[in-house]
Amino acid sequence: MSARAPRPLLPFVVGAYVGLLAPLVVVVAVSFGPSVAFEFPPRGVTLHWFEAFFASQAFVTAFFRVSLVVGVLAAVLATVLGTSAALGLVRFRFFGREAVETFFLAPLLVPEILLGAALYLFYARLAIQASIWTLLWGHLVICTPYVIRSVTAGLVGLDPRLEEAAMSLGATRVQAFFKVTLPLLRSSLLSGAIFAFIISFSDINLALFLSGPESTSLPVHIFSEIQWQGEPTIAAASSLQIVIIGMLVLIVQRMFRLRLVV
Amino acid sequence: MDGVRSRPIWAFLTGPYALFLLFLLLVPFANVVMYSLHPYSPTKVFLPELTLDNYRKIFDLYYVRLFGRTLRLGLITTAVCVVLGYPLAYFLARARPRVQALGLFLLIMPLMVSAVIRIFGWIVILGRKGLVNQTLVALGLEPIKLLYSETAVVIGLVNIFVPFMVLPIMASIERVPPNLEEAAQNLGANWYRMFRRVILPLSLPGLISGCLLVYSLSISAFVTPALMGNARERMAGQQIYDEVLVSFNWPSASSLALTLVLLTIALMFGALFATRHASRRDIAS
Repeated sequence: MSARAPRPLLPFVVGAYVGLLAPLVVVVAVSFGPSVAFEFPPRGVTLHWFEAFFASQAFVTAFFRVSLVVGVLAAVLATVLGTSAALGLVRFRFFGREAVETFFLAPLLVPEILLGAALYLFYARLAIQASIWTLLWGHLVICTPYVIRSVTAGLVGLDPRLEEAAMSLGATRVQAFFKVTLPLLRSSLLSGAIFAFIISFSDINLALFLSGPESTSLPVHIFSEIQWQGEPTIAAASSLQIVIIGMLVLIVQRMFRLRLVV
Repeated sequence: MDGVRSRPIWAFLTGPYALFLLFLLLVPFANVVMYSLHPYSPTKVFLPELTLDNYRKIFDLYYVRLFGRTLRLGLITTAVCVVLGYPLAYFLARARPRVQALGLFLLIMPLMVSAVIRIFGWIVILGRKGLVNQTLVALGLEPIKLLYSETAVVIGLVNIFVPFMVLPIMASIERVPPNLEEAAQNLGANWYRMFRRVILPLSLPGLISGCLLVYSLSISAFVTPALMGNARERMAGQQIYDEVLVSFNWPSASSLALTLVLLTIALMFGALFATRHASRRDIAS
């Protein structure tokens, strides 16, 4: 175990973590502070901005009616689409399989802001009004590759003979899948679904183009509030997102190998 | 596997997402290509005749400056990410499992929080009465203008993209067996010599793919320059956003977007190739 990082590296490591975490710490601190001007360190502790958050129609709609709903729907649909795509890619050999795999992960290669612009122009061409549905379709494009990745990683570590054994004992292919493969894939499925939710829940680049006036997502609402120099209610909303995402990432890490999904 | 050959189950499994991507990725970008080849019209969105003017326009001074600034800021961001990210990647790759798990959590959790929220945190830190200026005043120094400058944009971009530098480098360092380091040191190399001759060359694929990833992500950034940048020194992503949603010059926005997409895809394939090539060599050796 002598291959440990040498001491002179430590300042860089600490510096990098301070830089990574400072903005989050500051946001959480500001959300509990009494001052209207984003003051750090705060001079006291109050829940005033959380009350203001729950009293604000715009914030509540953006959080509960748009971001949460789109996130959950995106997670469910991306899991169905992604799991079936991963099964097809891992369990079967067919002509052009590698090309299909590259195509399926392609959304990760396209800058989100450009995908957002392209989808906006496409919807405009078809005269489709912005709604939570236009946002949802956009999110499915960027969420599904994460499910494909995590389910692929789960499937690769799974012996296909288990399924064959079930089938030789009389199960149909479909029964074997639902009774044997699916339960064994539980943790990679759930990790994929959670990541799909996180990606949708924190997305801003697509939402900037695809949210309509009735379907402003939480990040987009925070974005416009920052532009208009809003109140620390922004910080309260942000703190809630940080807590939710922190817990979800922790769950994935406990359950599955985080790095296989990211 | 007889049933597989007669009924292409794989097509039923991969078909839905393939169709989905066809209609929500390929067709929208084909539509962008179409827009980019037509002249702009203030009343009809675009005129029916074909033209390359939207691409020719990219060589106008304004757009050359715009792309020059975008590519330059991307380069600076990438360089800073290497300086901060490489030591962190090495530390994580060689850390004990528990430390590594905590380190990864603290790296990936911020990455998953919306970019707007992290930028908001930086605005509070760098603002006129922010943390940095409070400290300066307390030390008896003049407050400085940090926010709404290129420096602020680079700070924001580095903060958002540094994990994309750390993860691939870390993966490639982990593939180097620790006893290789010991061997080099037992043979008389000091740590820095060992690093330069052993670790650095072997982690090069991860470093390359990290750089390409960070670079292509930062040249298409929008939120960071929009909230932390100077209104007169904009980046390409902001120009595209404005031309789509504010000035409605969709043909021009389309040609800019395609230029940026092609640049990014070329870079990303470079990254993919670098990592694939590395893992093949790994297996071969």
